Parts: sequence; C-alpha cells; structure tokens
Amino acid sequence: MGQIGKRTNPFRQLRNREFRIYPVLRAVVMLGLIVAGLFSCSGSKEPPFLKIGLPEEPRSLNIWLGTDANSRNILSQIYQPLFRRHPETLEMIPWLAKEDAVFNEKELTYTVRLREAKWSDGSDFTSADVLFTRQLFADFKIPRYYSHWQVIENVVAVDDHTVVFHLKEPSAVFLPRVMTAPMVSKKEWEQVCKEALATEKPLRFLQDYQVDTPLGTGPFMLHEYQKGAYIHMIRNPHFFGLGQTIGNLTLGPYVDHILFNIYGTSDVAILALKKGDIDYYWWDIQPGYLKDLEKDSDIDLHYNKKSALYYLGFNLRKSPFNDKTLRQAVATVVDKGFILDRILQNHGNPMHSIVPAGNRFWHNQDVRKYGEGMDQKTRIKAAWQMLVDAGYSWETPPVASDGTLTKPSDIRLPSGEKMEKFVILTPPADYDPKRAFAGTMIQEWLRLLGMPAFARPMAFNSLLETVKGKHDFDAFVLGYGKLDLDPGYLASFFSSKNDNPRDWNMSGYRNPEFDKLAEKQKSTVDLQVRRQMIFDMQAMILEDIPYYPLYNPHIIEATVNKRFAGWVERVDGIGNIWSLCMVKPVD
Amino acid sequence: MAKPGYILLKLVEVGVIFFVILTALFFLFRLSPGDPISKMVDPMLTPEDMAHLIQQMGLDRPMWEQYLIYVKNFFTGHFGVSFHYGEPVANIIVDKLKWTILLFTTSTFLAAVVGVFLGKIAAWHKGSRLDNVMSISALVCYTLFIPWFALLLLWILGFKLGLFPLGGVLSPALWISNAPLIVRILDVLHHLMLPLMTLFVINLGSYLLLMRSSMLSVLREDYILTARAKGLSEKVIRNKHAARNAALPVITSVGLSLAFSINGGALTEQIFTWPGIGRELIFAVSNNDYPLAQACFLLIALVVLCANLIVDLLYAWLDPRITY
Amino acid sequence: MLNKYFVSRFYKGWQIFIRNPLGKTGVIILGVFMIMAVASFLVPLIDPMYDPMTGIDPDIKLSTGPSFTHWLGTDNVGRDILAQLLEGAKVAFIVGLSSAFFSIVIGTLIGMIAGYAGGLVDAFLMRIADIIMVLPSLVILLILASLFGQFNIWIIVFIIAIMRWPAVSRVIRSQTLSLKHRPFIEASRVAGASHIRIVLRHIMPNVLPLAFLYMTFRVTSAILVEAALSFLGFGDPSQVSWGMMLQWVWKSGHMFQAPYWLIPPGLCISLLTLAFYMLGRAMDEVLDPRLRKEGQAE
Repeated sequence: MGQIGKRTNPFRQLRNREFRIYPVLRAVVMLGLIVAGLFSCSGSKEPPFLKIGLPEEPRSLNIWLGTDANSRNILSQIYQPLFRRHPETLEMIPWLAKEDAVFNEKELTYTVRLREAKWSDGSDFTSADVLFTRQLFADFKIPRYYSHWQVIENVVAVDDHTVVFHLKEPSAVFLPRVMTAPMVSKKEWEQVCKEALATEKPLRFLQDYQVDTPLGTGPFMLHEYQKGAYIHMIRNPHFFGLGQTIGNLTLGPYVDHILFNIYGTSDVAILALKKGDIDYYWWDIQPGYLKDLEKDSDIDLHYNKKSALYYLGFNLRKSPFNDKTLRQAVATVVDKGFILDRILQNHGNPMHSIVPAGNRFWHNQDVRKYGEGMDQKTRIKAAWQMLVDAGYSWETPPVASDGTLTKPSDIRLPSGEKMEKFVILTPPADYDPKRAFAGTMIQEWLRLLGMPAFARPMAFNSLLETVKGKHDFDAFVLGYGKLDLDPGYLASFFSSKNDNPRDWNMSGYRNPEFDKLAEKQKSTVDLQVRRQMIFDMQAMILEDIPYYPLYNPHIIEATVNKRFAGWVERVDGIGNIWSLCMVKPVD
Repeated sequence: MAKPGYILLKLVEVGVIFFVILTALFFLFRLSPGDPISKMVDPMLTPEDMAHLIQQMGLDRPMWEQYLIYVKNFFTGHFGVSFHYGEPVANIIVDKLKWTILLFTTSTFLAAVVGVFLGKIAAWHKGSRLDNVMSISALVCYTLFIPWFALLLLWILGFKLGLFPLGGVLSPALWISNAPLIVRILDVLHHLMLPLMTLFVINLGSYLLLMRSSMLSVLREDYILTARAKGLSEKVIRNKHAARNAALPVITSVGLSLAFSINGGALTEQIFTWPGIGRELIFAVSNNDYPLAQACFLLIALVVLCANLIVDLLYAWLDPRITY
Repeated sequence: MLNKYFVSRFYKGWQIFIRNPLGKTGVIILGVFMIMAVASFLVPLIDPMYDPMTGIDPDIKLSTGPSFTHWLGTDNVGRDILAQLLEGAKVAFIVGLSSAFFSIVIGTLIGMIAGYAGGLVDAFLMRIADIIMVLPSLVILLILASLFGQFNIWIIVFIIAIMRWPAVSRVIRSQTLSLKHRPFIEASRVAGASHIRIVLRHIMPNVLPLAFLYMTFRVTSAILVEAALSFLGFGDPSQVSWGMMLQWVWKSGHMFQAPYWLIPPGLCISLLTLAFYMLGRAMDEVLDPRLRKEGQAE
C-alpha cells in the first residue's frame, strides 16, 4: 500500500472524469429488486418433462471419446448394441438383433439376424452398418472394443439383415463383450473415417471430431445441448423397441422429453431433488444424505446391489507380504462386519469372493473365508496362532501366556529380521471416505498384532502411479465401482503375464495353475464348464490372497414419486436404458 | 524523451517473461508423474489400448520434439485440442471466458466504485468512530477466508432463505420453455448474485483500505492546503480535489491486484459451479488435460502481464521522472 | 550494554504497540489460538477417540451435533470436530510462521544482495521478483500440487515461501540502497571489510525490523493459501487442517446439514489471519514514527 501511495503524484494533473457513484448504486439496487421480484413469481409453469440430474458435464457427445459415466448416460440412449443384458436375469438377450445368435461349433461362426430397425433420421439399419462398425474398430484400434473384436476373423453380410461372424477361435466372451459394442451408422461416420485415416493420428482425429447430433437407433435423440447447463433429449419416433415386448418388458418410451440438468455438486442436485426440480439424480447417494431423504414422502429411495469390488491389495513382490501366511493372518483380523456397519452404515454387503455376490451366476460362495463369525479377541488369537506356526516371533506377543491380549511389540519375520514399517495406501478421504477409513481401521487392527502398519491417504493419480505404474508399495485399498458382469477381469487382475508396470496385475500374483485356467476359460464357450473354471479361479485367489475383498456397497438412488413411476431396478441401480424406456407419468 | 525506447524495452521484457513462463509450463507438465490416462481405472482398457492412446496424443515423442511442436503451435495460433473434451482449446476457453468476464468485471467494478466512495469518507473522517468501524470491517472483509464466506452465503441466502439459486448460470426449465430474452438475462443475473456478492465483499475490503490510505496521503499535499486557503468548501475539496486524485491509484491497482483476484475467482467459481475459466483450470489440472490447463494458465499469465505492462506504461507516461 | 539498549528499545516499542487497539486485539486473538494449538497436544491423551485423524467414536456412525462428549459435534465418521479444530490451529501456526520465515529469509537475502550489488545483478533479481509477484500463487500451487500429486505439508510451506518473497525483497532492497552510502558503511569499506561482512554486520541488523514487520503479513497470506489449497482437495490428505475440514464438510455433502461443522474452521482461518494482519498494522506504527505521530495527533 505504501508503494502505491508513493506513486500518487503523477495523477494530480488528471482531472478529466467524474466518478458517478450514486447513479450506479441506484441502478444496482433497482436491478436487484427487479430480479427478486421476478423470481418470486416465476417457476410455476413447467412442460411435462422427465427431469434428470447429472453430476457433471458429459465429456463429449462423440461416442469414441465420451467414455465417462455422464457421457455414457446420454449416449447409451442413442447408440445401441446388438445384444444387451436383461435387467433381471442378467442374461444376454437380443436387442438390435432379432433373435439369439446361432453358433456353429464346427465352422466357428455366429449367425445374427438383425431387427428391421431405423436410425433416428429414418434411414434403415442394415448389415452394412454392422460391417462398417467392425471395420471402424479395426482401423482405429478403438480402445475397449478393438481387443475383443480381434477374435473375429471375418464378418459376412448374407443379406441386409443377416450377418455371419467368423471367429478365429472359440470365445467365451463373444456375447458379453463383442456383441455389446455400440453400433454406429455408416452414413454418419464414413466420411469422417476417410478423413481421419488420411491423418497421422487417426484415432485422435476421430475422437476429436465434433458430433452435434449423434445418430443412433435408441429410444431418445438429442434435441438441444446448452454447454454447462442442460441437455434436452426427445423421443426417437423410429425407435425399434417402441411398443415391442423385449425380455417380457413392453417398452416405451412413455415420455416425450428428457431434460438432463447438469449440476456441479451433489449437494445442489439433492436439494433440487427435494424441491422437485428434478425427478431423478443419476448418481450414487452418499449415506450422509439418507436420514434427510428418508423423511420425505415424495422421495423414493432405491437400494440395489452393485457390481463392484473394494479390496485390500498386497505387493507379493517383496517382504513382508510375499508371505502367504502373513496375508492370511491379515485377512483374519480384518473385521468386515465392522466395516459394513460403521463405514457403509449397513448399506452394503461384506464381500467374500472377488466376483461380487450380486453377479449370481459367476459368484462362488464356497471360497475360503477368514475370521468368519469370530469376535475381535478370537480373531487376534487365530491370526497370532497362524503367525506363530509360520515362525513369526515377538518381543511381547499379542496374546499373553494366560490367554489375555496384551500390547505387542517388535514383531519379527520367520527369518529373525524385524518387520519393517509398511504403508497401506488409500485414496484421500474426499475422493472416497469409505476406502480411506477402511485403511485406517485396518491399520489399527494390524497394530493389535504388533505389525508396524501405517495407513496413508494419497491423491488418487499418485496412488495409481505408485501402485500400478511403479509397483512401489506394500499394500493398498482400492476398488472398482463398476465391474463388468462378465468375470473375464479375473484373468486380467491375476495372470502373471499381466505383471508389468501399468498393467492390471498390480499385486504381482504368479501362479502357473491359475494362469492355465485363466487362458483356458477365455475360449470355453460352454457356460457351465466355464463357470466351474471361474469358481476354481476364485477359490485360488481366496487361498493365496493377492487381493482380499472387503466390502460391496449398495448403490442408493433417489427418485421423486409425484410425477413419474416405473423405474427398472437391476444390479448397479435404476440408471439404465430399461428405466428410461419404462418410466411412465403418474396421473 | 526516451519514451519509444522505454516502451520497446518493456514490450521485449514482457515477451521474454512470457516465453519463459511458456517454456517452464511445458516442462512442468511433461516432467511430472502421471499422464492423461493414468487416472483411468477401467479393467476393460488393456495396456495396449493405453499405449495407443498415449501415442495418439503425441505423448510418446521425444520431449524436445513435443516442445518444438508446442511452441510452433502456440505462435501460429493453434492452442491444441483438449484431451478431455476433444474440442479445440480455443473454443472451450471462449465459451468459459464469457462467464468469467461477466463475474469478474461486474464484481471488480462494483467493489472499486463502492470502495472508493467509502474509503473517501473514512479518510475524510479519520479517527472518528465511523472511520474505525469502516476500517475494521474492511480489514475483516480483506482477511475473510473466501471459500468459507462463499459457503456461508450459499448456506444462508441460498439454502436457508432460498433467495438465490445454489449454482450454475441459468435455470434450464426456464430456457427450454422459450422464455423471452429479458427473462433469460434476469435469470443469469439472478444466478450471478451469490458469486458476485462473494467477490464484491472480498474486493471491497482491499479497495476501501487502499482508497483510505491513498486519500490520506493526498490530503497532506500542498495543493489541498492551497485549496483550503482559497476558501473552497470542504465538500468541494473532498470530492473534487482530493478524492479524484486519490482514486486513480486505486483504479490502477485493479491491474496490480489481478493475481489476487484470480485466486479468489477460481475459488468462487468452484463453489458456485460457475462455469468460468478458473473452475475449468482446476478441472483440467486434476484431469491432466495438458493443452487445456496450459492454455488457461497462459491466458491468465498473459492478462496479468499485460495489465502490469499497461500500469507501468501509464506511470511512465504520467511521470516524466521515470526513465529507464 | 548493547543488550540493554535493545531491551529498552523493545520495551518502548511494545508500549506503543500494546496501546494500539489493533495490536491489542490481535495479540488477544493470537493468544487464544496459541492456547488451542497447545491444547491439541493434550486432547488425544484423554482418549484415543479424540485423535483428530484416526480417532473414531465407537458409538457414533453419522455426523452429530454438539454434545457433552463432543463439544462441537463429530464429522461423518465420528471424529471429534473440536479436536480437529485444535489440531488445525497447530497446523496453521506451523504453516504460517514457517513459510513466512522462509520467505523473509529468502526475501531479505535477495533484497540485500540486489541493493548492495546494484547494476545487472540488481536488475536481474528485481525482474524475477516482478514476475513472481504478479503470478497468482494459488493457481500455481494448484498446478504443482496436482501435477506432482502428493505434497506433504512442508513442501507446500516451502512453495508458498518461494511465491511470497518478492514484496519483502523490494522493501529490503530500497532500505539497503539508502544504507549503502551512509558514512559508517563507507568507513568499514575503506577499512577493508569484505562485502559479506558489510552485508551481515552492518546492513542486516538495520533491515531486520522491517523484515519482521513483513513477516506478519506473509503469515496471513501463507495461511490463506494453504487453506484454499486444502479446501480444493490438493492439500496433504494425511494432515488435518482447517482447509481440509472445510473440504470434508463440503465434499461429504454435509454443508447444508451440519452448520456446527461448517462454521468453526472457516471462522478460525478468518480470525487468525485477521489477528496477524492487525499485528502487522500495529507493528507498522511502531516502526514508522510518521504514522504514529499522525495517529496520536488526531
């Protein structure tokens, strides 16, 4: 301030402008009054829209770039796959396909008949579009699809509505992974692809292409997009499912307009829900809000199982967690009941296997369980016994000779070396309080066994860099909020060939027997046989514990029941295309 | 008069500084751990997919080559394409900038006007109770923790009293029903009120204090004594002679305090989900969206440097004693 | 003898300082926060559930309002808010004082060197100071913090210090310039004293009071910047601080439901920075006789 004071002199000569303060102030006050007046009387007239809150701006309306949750919510109403899962049975049912795919075991072909569907501009959806989509995946090596579509040797269009897929080898994931890819229109993309392929970076060009009105076959189409504020979608008159019964659901859509409001924070969106400004908030609701929402009779809460996995992971490449017994002892002292009760506030399930229980067909419930039904004292004793048997020793053991628990000190490895201090990495509390506090609790439990455990919250991308990129860690708590319903991820997470920096085997689990099964199940088409293999793989993991599954939260969603009803509940919640096809206005 | 030389020198200086920032920023982004896809935890994404994405983003090239491309693109006006949105950075920035300018200029202008007005009165009545109350309140405003103050406003005025919307820039329900333009404008202004109030209060404190001290130093000047001796009325002396001269440094300090305002602006935008440049920068930075974050930051740096350049030149023009 | 001189000078200064209403208020508020900071060491000793980071009340599952066991209530996992607030006071002092100290050290050194050496060195250093001065420090910290992921609290302190030295060095430089040609400096130079010796023995003692004045203002901005950074989620996640508390209440969705959690941390940040600012202004008057005379005349 002093400096500025010294610089005042030059302005002494300047006396040209008058500062009109009063008029400005008066104008401001007037404006404020007008605004206040206007909004006390507005907001009464509303068109009959289904209004849905989105937590963030969608990344892009270009399907090759918009892979985030918000973009998917919008785009999944537009671009459709040939097959999709039934909301209740979770089986693959024909969607853009007319009927089940016919598999020819000898020829290794799948024959798929297509529906008489139309794109939203009225043109026909034909085999040419399927062939085009396949070529696009191959030309651009589209992430997520390309690797699965590689199993296809060739695709032949028999006629306009019949396509034959020739496979290189039998594939277990043909339906769940290959046939669930979205089909795009040749008309919309052909020119763009041609241009893109001529550039140095075709994929980037394709992803950066600005799509203003995506062309799809789904129940809705884009009408208006006001960036940062809202997306207005209207019913697609050419939707193939309109009035049809697919998977014993008679599809609509029964609403003409959907308005997606973009909110930046959950607080605001949930308040909007309470005020009735939106009918549904397309996001998981944190337990903190529940008490308040439960009281509101206008609001329905939907609790559904989630295909999710939250787990404690170990680094099997180095001491101390290269010892299986130690990992089992850790698993024994972890109190899943406590985590469920305190951290999830009972909105979830304890998790026993890597494949979540909500995934009924693939979940193996007969895996080895640790500390089941024990109280804390028995847990500690059991874990202590396991460690003693394996040669661990203490200066003061956690269990005294008379059987009472004591404060342990100086745990030593079987080799006689002192156990070095180790760190359990967790995401920070603001990113996910559940994982952060699970980490803290595990630290406390391990200390009861005398282990020098330290839970440390770490910013999410550094955490990934450390764990996945550099493999420089002892243990971590991480999770997948949306796990695919096909258990193929077991092979990704635990195959030794994936034990590379940045690859999916973060623990460094190496088990030749597991590798063999993981390879074999990929080409096992018989569901029952594959199921047994997947069961065996789960059993192996729970015996060796590279990951120890902790909990599986429910997904909790809220809708306003005054205006619309008929939401379709399934694993992962009511936010799905079935809901939007089935929701009806209530009179 | 070495004025043209001085201006040229200043321009060169700003250019060099800007280039240094440009370069430093590039290496900062590239040398840090993590990349735009390191946050993707999608088991469907194979390592080959990731490598392919990295290659498509041009991040697999040698560092110096990336740097040369970056500099060349910058000077040919290609600011690149956002990794996150897949849209040219320039479009995104233009889109966001209008909201920031709206919020920033209105709050700065109002705060400066009111601050000058109140500071003048405070200085004139130096030592009185009025002055004490105003100075202390200004001090309190000045040291308020912006996010907390913003959250309090949101809680009391937005939530408890329901006077203002809780975030965003417009009410979609109003816009899709084809409301008349005036209603839309008022709707935006209604959304503007809370962030505006936050920035206004914070800025007001500093302008008031600045005006007060500037006015006090002007009042000590000889020409005020002369004016008094001439028998001019106190009001005329206060408003015509003293305030006008004292206000100018306050106005120019808008330029100097820009950095402070940008900090506050980013926080305010974040809390009120105001889709401006500050919020976008925070978002881009946490997403490792290099092109967008770089462009946002360079824009901020450029604005700050230019504002300072203008202030410097203004002083040089007004004060012949400054030579280089 | 020298000591006695300093004591009496300090005593005189203190007299003026404490008579100033701003200074008095500032000192009182600071005193309260210091007591809080000290108390933060004691609270976890009462019961481990009062540990600000890991203590969880076994009987509480949701955020609850003030009660007998938790005077300010608990957060959403059952941690005591008062305990966090006390811990926050400690962290704020650590952050504020240490980063102010670093920035004063850097600023004083650079200011003295620039002022004493003059010429190109001076121009170069002051240009750098100019650049850094105009850059928005929070935005820069934000970029650094998110790029390098994990900053612990000391790195944050250090970066704030690096961002905040230029204003100090400018003032110290001009002070040094005015000292440089004083007879006693000339005399020691003629007597063959080395540059380092002149700077350390003759210039430094004369610029230090001014440096300390600036330190109080630096404390203010350091606390604010650290709090803002934590609030945005780029702070040290393993360290409770007031900014972090605000971040938790905001991100966990308790902003509209738990005023007992929302209000205290922000109030503390604002009050503490206010106290330091008041202290600075009062010290300003002690060190600048011109201001003082005016203040007393009216």
